[in-house]
Amino acid sequence: MKTRRPVAGTLAVAGYVVMLVPILFVVATAFTSERTLRFPPQGFSLRWFEAALGYDPFIGALVSSLQLALVATVLALLVGVPATLAIHRGRLPGKGLVEALFLSPLIVPELVVGLALYQQLVIGFRLDSFPVLLIGHTVLMLPYAVRVTGASLALADPALEEAARGLGASPVRAFFTVTLPLLRPGIFSAALLSFVTSFNNVPLSLLLQSRDFRTLPVTMLDYVQQSYDPMVAAMATLILAGTVVIAVIAERTVGFAKIFGGINR
Amino acid sequence: MTSRSPALLLLLPGLAFLLIGFAVPSLAMLFAPPGVTAGEIVGRLGQMLTDPYDLRIIGRTVGLGLIVTVICVVLGFPIAYLLARSTSRWAGVLLALAIFPLLLSNVVRTFGWLVLLGKNGAIGQLLTATGLVDEAPQLLYTELAIVLGLTQLFLPLAIISCYSAVAQVDPGLDDAARGLGASRTRTFWSVVVPLSSPGVVVAATLVFAGSVTAYTTPYLLGGSGQRMLATQLFSYSSVTIDWAGASATALIMTVLVFVVSGLSSLVARKGATS
Repeated sequence: MKTRRPVAGTLAVAGYVVMLVPILFVVATAFTSERTLRFPPQGFSLRWFEAALGYDPFIGALVSSLQLALVATVLALLVGVPATLAIHRGRLPGKGLVEALFLSPLIVPELVVGLALYQQLVIGFRLDSFPVLLIGHTVLMLPYAVRVTGASLALADPALEEAARGLGASPVRAFFTVTLPLLRPGIFSAALLSFVTSFNNVPLSLLLQSRDFRTLPVTMLDYVQQSYDPMVAAMATLILAGTVVIAVIAERTVGFAKIFGGINR
Repeated sequence: MTSRSPALLLLLPGLAFLLIGFAVPSLAMLFAPPGVTAGEIVGRLGQMLTDPYDLRIIGRTVGLGLIVTVICVVLGFPIAYLLARSTSRWAGVLLALAIFPLLLSNVVRTFGWLVLLGKNGAIGQLLTATGLVDEAPQLLYTELAIVLGLTQLFLPLAIISCYSAVAQVDPGLDDAARGLGASRTRTFWSVVVPLSSPGVVVAATLVFAGSVTAYTTPYLLGGSGQRMLATQLFSYSSVTIDWAGASATALIMTVLVFVVSGLSSLVARKGATS
């Protein structure tokens, strides 16, 4: 596939280099024993990993980010899955419009939404940073919940639910014993995507975080701006390792391409 | 679930979240920020669209966005094409490698360029070591750095969009064109590309919209010298607390994304009917 298409092959190699080489360099510098980010890295040590794991602002922010991502994901699913059911199975007027509304947070720039919530809810209503972050992240995850679970709901045959109802199951029982199991892969994909998106989010968290509640990506961003040492590379490498674990889980369970196929139509 | 009222009930929590956490605050911020009248925002918009400094920021944002879009399509389409047409078992691994960066934090991905382009970075070292230049050129905090960073960030999106489009084009059509005597190159340009063009339009839209609204990349790689709309918006809203400026900038950014998305769905519709 490489030799017979020299132009396409060259462009493809260039593309992979741009996508992946910077990530490899982050990993390489994380293992240096030197004090500065220099290339080539001198010596091998784990001292920067030790430093990163002992650096309270990073660990505090890591815990905050995990908490926020977890709660926002659960909330987005609790709110989004019923909405998806209503859109696909209910007799609603203007279904297309309702679905468009649920997907609309995808179009508006996240930084704009972040600014809006900061100005209107944090400053205007003096709400605490965590509830506003939670609202913002949940709203941002709703499109994933609606789209990804919607895609697997569209594949599920409504006749199955009708059969359950016909056999005497209540609507609630039909949902929990028939529809929900059919939706499981979709819900799992949506949860995974939501969690990762929330954990990595910068534009929304940037303005909404407070002194007491800081997220990891923004904390790292601030740190890089002030000092330029390999500790951030070590933290970044740890995030990379965690992401690889999530990716492997995704690939083994529902399949990578399927998860992302759902959001980019 | 079949009658109307339970369906509405199921929608209600979601609608509440969208109203309180998205629609109302966004509209209020764009058109009626605290202590600012709509007239002032319009005035500020007019100022930005004529002031040379602001115009350079807008121009840089749109210009770099277009450059990144073209690069992502030019690099992403061949990757998608080769992967979709490959029968090798490595294709799956390569596809996973192309999608994986989407899961990875933008901060982590962008950070790599600091290591590569920084003062003692790998590229500068390489250039001086090979004797190509005496002194490493300034690479970080340039428009080139932003373009590289944004390309890295959005190439996976371009690949996925193009991949699903190319995968839908029946390989039998390639064979038919080849069988009728078309060269490999001609088959690519007159069969594969036209039939997968909707995917390219989607890819271009996603990349452009992402590029003109990205914050992390211009912040880390462009610095204060290469402001873009996103970094300018942040500075208005947290450094200078200039609500009129922030709203005007947010409006420009939002309109930019809406116009491009609108144009792209128009193109898609036209393609579907013709």
